[in-house]
Amino acid sequence: MLNNSFFYFLTLQLYKEKSKHIAVVLLSLVVIFLLSSVLFISSSLRYSLFETLEAQPDFVVTKLKAGEPSTTPIDWADELLEIYGISKVTPRVHGRYFFKSKDKSFLVVGVDFLEEQSHKGIESLISGTDIKSFLSGDNMIVGEGVKKFLEKNYYRNSYQFLTPKGVFKKVNIVSTLTDKSNLLANDMMIMPQALAQEILGYGQDEVTDIAFNVVNPDEWQNINDKVLELHYDLRIVSKDEIKKLYQNLYNYKGGLFLSLFIVLLLTFSLILYQRYNMIYSTERRNIGLLRAVGWSINDILKLKFLETISLVLISFILGVTLAYIYTFIFDAPLLKEIFLGAENLENSVAFRPVVEMGVLSSIFFIYAIPFIASVLIPVWRVAITDAKEAML
Amino acid sequence: MIKINSLYKKFNRSVVLKDINLHIKLGETVVLKGVSGSGKTTLLSLIGGLDRPTQGSLLIDGEPIHKLPDNFASKLRASKIGMVFQHFNLLEHLSVAENVMIPLIPTGLKVDKIQDRVNSVLKLTHIAHKKDTLASRLSGGEKQRTAIARALVAEPQIILCDEPTANLDKANSLLFIETLQRLHQQGKTMVIATHDPLFDNLPFSSRVIPMVDGEIVDE
Repeated sequence: MLNNSFFYFLTLQLYKEKSKHIAVVLLSLVVIFLLSSVLFISSSLRYSLFETLEAQPDFVVTKLKAGEPSTTPIDWADELLEIYGISKVTPRVHGRYFFKSKDKSFLVVGVDFLEEQSHKGIESLISGTDIKSFLSGDNMIVGEGVKKFLEKNYYRNSYQFLTPKGVFKKVNIVSTLTDKSNLLANDMMIMPQALAQEILGYGQDEVTDIAFNVVNPDEWQNINDKVLELHYDLRIVSKDEIKKLYQNLYNYKGGLFLSLFIVLLLTFSLILYQRYNMIYSTERRNIGLLRAVGWSINDILKLKFLETISLVLISFILGVTLAYIYTFIFDAPLLKEIFLGAENLENSVAFRPVVEMGVLSSIFFIYAIPFIASVLIPVWRVAITDAKEAML
Repeated sequence: MIKINSLYKKFNRSVVLKDINLHIKLGETVVLKGVSGSGKTTLLSLIGGLDRPTQGSLLIDGEPIHKLPDNFASKLRASKIGMVFQHFNLLEHLSVAENVMIPLIPTGLKVDKIQDRVNSVLKLTHIAHKKDTLASRLSGGEKQRTAIARALVAEPQIILCDEPTANLDKANSLLFIETLQRLHQQGKTMVIATHDPLFDNLPFSSRVIPMVDGEIVDE
């Protein structure tokens, strides 16, 4: 290949016009980098969230009061167990506790450590915790964001909750969750279920909701109908509905970024168009010259195509690599805030490296096709019409 | 070698070439003389296959270049025709040697063979000492010698020159004519479009063809 005259000339062209090509590569690199970073973050978040959702129970039941979710009687769990086909019925206690003076809130999650089903969902979060010593007193495990926030406010090893009865309740912090769980558990406080009930003001026979699974997925609709018949003030939400909610959220965000990208792409094409118009007269003469000395239209298009595809590949590889480093090694400063929105507590989410081939090929085609077309179409037009340009 | 019969060329409504009939034999040197706008350059571009006539025929070595598809016309041009332009038309960002090798790139020759050919043609045109100099840094005469080297590198039988001395001083113009004489001695067929009086009485030119308003007036 090194002795191939065409490739020799191609490398000559790339090298000798390096300032022009470097400018094009830098411009393209910015576009690829931004697009790749956004798609990497989006894929990573989607992957993490949907993986978590997958581990969620099939249905969640809540009591409604005046159309709003209210505390749910724990007895409903027994009624649910009586329906054939329902399994893993789990009463759950969770709710937000407000830190009024700083306008922040924590997610208090009560876990019944004696019931296997109750803590299965957060098993991975609390793995490594000594359950016996945890249950020996009023203890809790907190997310990294909670830990940092409390430390800033001089609560190092414990926190004083003010219960709805107006009583202070001191709870010890026995450990902190790893930063890998920050996406979901940054503002979480995990504690025994009875303690959570006390802090959130629930009675002994009250829970936030009751989760359950259905053994046969074909029976989902039947079970859903049967459960609805139990109580007039019961609301049932399926895992599919929650998934759809998140999907809609991601479609909205995806659409937003797609719109932004189209604007970016148009700007990029405009810059390229201007750039090629600027050099149009020289380029026309050079193409005319190549035709005059015996190059066919195909030869010229081949040269320009190889020249452009080389620039596209260089920009693509560099852009994607930089985006990978920016997103997964440096945790995407600036873009992270846009994606995660205003966080309740300071969050140091570590994006899980997820690279989908579909996403990579989309980036390549969305960028490469307009770029190659914006170069080759004018070249082709000049080559077919202005061969005698060299004579002028 | 070149046979032109009843050739017309129109651009929109204006007729640029009218009823051109011209036969040029192998080894002949023909000077097309005329003022600017007389149609000399258009006729050269038709002979070189860069444009197509509106009417008439144009044969190069028996091949109707005006009817050939682009790929074949380009091959014919690459193998049989060398062109020298008024503005030299060198790629300014490339060196002398790199400019000269351009016609050989699509031929599929290996790089080392191309370099051998380029070196020998640079010696022939007395520009070998500037081999690695960028075209943008050459004088007018040096650019012209580079352009001639480029026209000769594919060893074509026909050389077409369009106003070759228009951008040269007298000394360089005379040097150029000397080069043409050497090419004539080598048996090249040459067609030179010019209005430079230096070409009026060339010792080696077989014909001077005056052109006025797109017509050959008196051969």
